[in-house]
Parts: sequence; C-alpha cells; structure tokens
Amino acid sequence: MAQQTPRVLPAHLHAFHPSVANGARATNTVRLLGTVTSLRGDTATITCGNNGDVALILRPDSHLQMGKLVEVLGKVTDVEGQGIGVRVLASFDWGDPASCDYKIYEQLVDVTHKYKSVFYETD
Amino acid sequence: MDSNYGYGGSSGGGFMPGETNSPAGGKGDYNNATLRPITVKQALDSSQPYPEAAHQIDGADVASVCFVGQVRNISSQSTNVTYKIDDGTGEIEAKQWIDSSTADTMDMDDGKGNAAPGKDQVELNGYAKVFGKIKTFNNKRFVGAHSVRPLTDINELHYHLMEAVAVHLFFTRGPPGSAGGAGNAGGGAVGGADSTMGGTDDYGANRSLPAMSATARRVYNLLKTEPQSNEGLHAQLIAAKIGVPMPDVARAGDELLTAGVIFSTVDEQTWAILDY
Repeated sequence: MAQQTPRVLPAHLHAFHPSVANGARATNTVRLLGTVTSLRGDTATITCGNNGDVALILRPDSHLQMGKLVEVLGKVTDVEGQGIGVRVLASFDWGDPASCDYKIYEQLVDVTHKYKSVFYETD
Repeated sequence: MDSNYGYGGSSGGGFMPGETNSPAGGKGDYNNATLRPITVKQALDSSQPYPEAAHQIDGADVASVCFVGQVRNISSQSTNVTYKIDDGTGEIEAKQWIDSSTADTMDMDDGKGNAAPGKDQVELNGYAKVFGKIKTFNNKRFVGAHSVRPLTDINELHYHLMEAVAVHLFFTRGPPGSAGGAGNAGGGAVGGADSTMGGTDDYGANRSLPAMSATARRVYNLLKTEPQSNEGLHAQLIAAKIGVPMPDVARAGDELLTAGVIFSTVDEQTWAILDY
C-alpha cells in the first residue's frame, strides 16, 4: 500500500508527531497548505489561512518563493526554538494565494477526518 | 456486496445467481453511463463480485470514474502512456492507450511525455485529472484512462475530494434530504452542501424513509406515485419503469420490506405501500 499523506491544518500537527505512540497513526507524513511568509536559508514559515503558522525545515532542492501558495508534503518533527514543525519532503507551488479559497480547504480537512474511510486507512 | 454497508446483506444470496445467470456480464457498463468522482483509495478498495464484473464502490457498480492527484511517474511506451497518480490517499496507475490515428496531445515525438510545459501537457509531480474505468490485472487495480489532463486550479482539487465524499454518502446513506426525518445523522458539514447538489426531484419527496439505498428510495417513490390497484405493483413492472435491473429491484424490495414500509400482496414480488 502506498503511503498515505493526510491533509491537515496546523492544529492537527501534534496528532502526527512521532512521539504520539498511539498506533492509530501509521504515518507522520502530512500535507499542509499555506502561503510562504518567511524564508531563512534552510528554514521557512508558511501561514495557513487563519489557522496559524508552521515552521518548515527545507531540503536543499526545495525552491519556495515568498508570497506563493505551496502545498507541502513532509514529516512532522520538532523545529529548534519553534516547537512543532514539518521537515519538507516535497513541495508544490500553487501560485497566487488569492486564487485559492482557503475556507474550502478547511472544510475539506474537516470532511477527510469525518469520513475517513474514503481517504485513509482507519485502523 | 460489501459487508461494511448494511444493505443487501439479506439478499446477497439471491443476488448472485441472478447476476451470474444473466448472459450479459458487461451489460451494465452500457446501461450505466455514470461518471463517479472518487479518491485513489476508493479505487484500490473497490470490489469485484466475480471476474469480468463491474467494480463496486460502496456496493454500487461503477462505470467510469474520475480522480485527481499528483503525477509521480510517467512512462511512455509505444502503445500506451502509464501515469502513476498519488492523491494522498494512495497510488494507482493510469494507463492511456495511444490511438495512433488521433494522437495529438501525446504525440510520440514528445519523447518521454514531459514535453514543453504550458502546452496542454501533464507534468511530472504536477496535478492531473484522470477520467477512465477501473480495471484489474493480476489482482492489482489500475485505471484505463480515457483522458488525462493537467489540473491547475487548487479549488478544483478540493472540490473534487468533497464531491467524492458527497457521492460516497449518497450511496451509503441515501440521497440528500432524507437525513433529517428518521434521525439518521446526515453529517453536518456536507449535509448542507448536499442539498445544493440538486437531483432531489427523483427521490426527495419522502422525508420519512429510514436510511437506505438510492434504488430502494426510487422504488418506494414509484410505488407512492404510480397509479395502481390495491394489489400494488409487480417487481418486473417496477424494474421496467425505473430502468433498473431486476436483481437490484429485488434487493431494494428486500430493504423496503425489512424496513416495514411496503408489504407483499398477491405474491412475493408484488408490493404495495404500507400506509398507516
């Protein structure tokens, strides 16, 4: 079975932290959607609508651009000094944040968790 | 046929013989011209009651499907292009056969299929929307794709996944509008969206039915609206009127009988509404 990468909001990250050994999470790889609001060498911050910021640890080949909407696929981990964050495995540039209705994404995240059987293994 | 869903369980025994005796294994494909939005996981989980049968999701036959995901691999062969599609719920291969006479977007001189972007071209790691049919080879699911096109609007991606849930709920809990009546939890967030989906005309009239399949609802509505004697209607007639195969009508009848909203009159196959 290919690996599943649940779509989440910043508030859900703690549930996918590797230290949460509840067995319910087969994966700690998640998908996040946000606007790049700061870039500092190998770290960055994305802002997820009105749901707060997430610190990212970038890969050498991650090419994030300020102000762009990005979908990030990564592992939930601790980021020095910034609490919980995401180590980026891959990112996808969706372009102008204005072209995305973030409310739909919030609803979608809600729906994917409510009707989990359609999206993710439930065990 | 999926035991996860309560319906059909009681009629499973009667359903199989009917289907297998029917000479038309693939017939449903021609009668069923629906295009169902799904997630990759649903495609991988789809069941097949017997070889060559239509695949089923949520106990309903699926003809064509569409799904959205990131292209993880493109492999061009002389006769087909295979895309590996990942939508976060799983990974599946979509195989598009090249029709040499009409090859346009997938010209062979594009080489590896990742020719100049900007054209109507699917890119590696970009998002794509795939239309096709679920197939099985060596017990592995893949999709025979009719069309693979790039997807550039993120809202379309989100919309698609929501639509997949809406359709899933349609098949597992019945059409929208039915949820309120029998106290069946309709699912708050999507419930609202569902009612805007339209298509309630066929079934929406009765809000008192308990949760049941879409076919059962249609049978019930026909019984309710069709002029008839007090003997009710025969299952054959119902099947003809709503254009649904007999085994499905029989299954729907079982559901309605079990729920106690119809009763059989002159014989087992003639039903009337149980009014009280």
